[in-house]
Amino acid sequence: MTAEIKTTPLHQWHVDNGANMAAFGAYDMPLWYPQGAKGEHLAVINAAGLFDTSHMAVVTVAGAGTRELLQKCFSKDLECCIGLKKNPLGPGRSVYGLFLDGNGHVIDDAIVSQVTDLLYMIVVNAGMGAPIAAHLEQHKSALDADIVDYTDRLGKVDIQGPLAAKILKRVLQDPDAVFDGFTYFSCRGWFADLEAIPAVKLTDGTPILLSRTGYTGEFGFEIFVTADKVESVWTQLLAAGEQFSLIPCGLAARDSLRAGAVLPLSHQDIGDWPFAGNPWPFALSDRDADGAFSKDFIGADALAALEPDTYTLPFAGFDPRKMVVSENAYVADEEGNRLGDILTCATDMAIGRVGDTIISIASTDGKPEDFVPRGLSCGFIRVERRLDPGTIVVLSDGKRKIKVEIRNDIRPDRTARRPLGEMI
Amino acid sequence: MKDIQELNLPADIRYSNDHEWAKLEGDTVKVGISDYAQDALGDIVFVELPEVGDTLGAGDEFGTLESVKAVSELYLPIGGEIVAVNSELEDSPELINQDPYGGWIIEIKPDDSGDIDKLLDREAYLELLKAE
Repeated sequence: MTAEIKTTPLHQWHVDNGANMAAFGAYDMPLWYPQGAKGEHLAVINAAGLFDTSHMAVVTVAGAGTRELLQKCFSKDLECCIGLKKNPLGPGRSVYGLFLDGNGHVIDDAIVSQVTDLLYMIVVNAGMGAPIAAHLEQHKSALDADIVDYTDRLGKVDIQGPLAAKILKRVLQDPDAVFDGFTYFSCRGWFADLEAIPAVKLTDGTPILLSRTGYTGEFGFEIFVTADKVESVWTQLLAAGEQFSLIPCGLAARDSLRAGAVLPLSHQDIGDWPFAGNPWPFALSDRDADGAFSKDFIGADALAALEPDTYTLPFAGFDPRKMVVSENAYVADEEGNRLGDILTCATDMAIGRVGDTIISIASTDGKPEDFVPRGLSCGFIRVERRLDPGTIVVLSDGKRKIKVEIRNDIRPDRTARRPLGEMI
Repeated sequence: MKDIQELNLPADIRYSNDHEWAKLEGDTVKVGISDYAQDALGDIVFVELPEVGDTLGAGDEFGTLESVKAVSELYLPIGGEIVAVNSELEDSPELINQDPYGGWIIEIKPDDSGDIDKLLDREAYLELLKAE
């Protein structure tokens, strides 16, 4: 029996434009285009790249009980999650967090955006629209919350890189109004007519939901539109971006960019085990000194007093060599004692080592004039004890061995949080 | 990915079932990977080369290619002694993507120079690719 292979509305475009296609979840997706994954990775650091991420799923929840339902099911406390002042989530703002089960295991990670007073949009991973919608239904009891799974009815196009705003500006109606005060983790507009908030439209009239988020660690946007508009949005952006060296990018570059930015891939770096002992505690509600969370949510009891039995740690290598993650792959200490598993191993093509320091092609400080990085392997391991940054461990597939260093951070000088005003 | 008709498959070299090529040059044979292989692997970021002087048999592993997609073993199409390695690939592995036939990987002195005739010619290799 073979599972149904799904496609995004851009599938034919990818094939026609020479993409190397492969299965990702249930979807046949582009890994890279003729320019190659390295060129695509570098384009996002130097200029901008365009990603088809229409395989991801959107669930909307609307109604007077929505916030209460999300407070119960989502790991972030929506009453204190925005900015340094920990303001409440309000219309036009977005927050990253998790849906956990009662054991504190990850069902999926998500970005929740509040669109209006009573309408919220939840973006989850490929294939997770139905499970998350069902999870919310299961817990809504008598709450007034209308849950809609938009899987395959919406498309998503991500424009990522320092020139993203300059390109987007060329296809937006009234870009100055759209960009005014548009901070990181904000959203504007809706992918259909919605009277409650100002629309964001492309010059051809297409309504979009524009979100200042992404999965590359770099400055950029995610654009949500109805499935029938995806190809037109894609080709408009590519045309507008031609003079800015915008190129289409596949999932290989997306994976290497996000690994260098220390972002987890759901069901690979986080998953069906307790969400603890990892670099992403910010995905949970804030805690007091005793570990108690600022609100009660599904999974909170299991995690509150939990002492992790595994630790997920970022690493970077010393050259581009990487290890294919397989059943045979493991991580060991320098004496050969097995420590645990490799979760992700990619190559960040934009970085290299200068002495003990990792430098990016985007770095301004400490970058030699003739800096041409060969790239560094990087990713995440999950081991049985905490290892300090700087510790050397050895990745192996049973045959080859690669030394890597435990790190707090990987690719320096990322642009995701740069003020939009500096980028246009 | 490239369509089969887009692939650059020179007629003056031979191919293996593992997508390596071999070219007789005097009494030595240069070995690399085919255009099909480099296109399928994507950007090659690291090449692990053998030692000059190693003697290996046909089908023996002689190195690895690490690409954005995978780590792939390289297999010797015919047996012989390794007399040279393309050390340019250590700093510029992308040469294989740019020109898979100029970007040779090793040069061997074959045990029997007639062995190269046992490999696939262009037509036979095309048939193999069509079947994949």
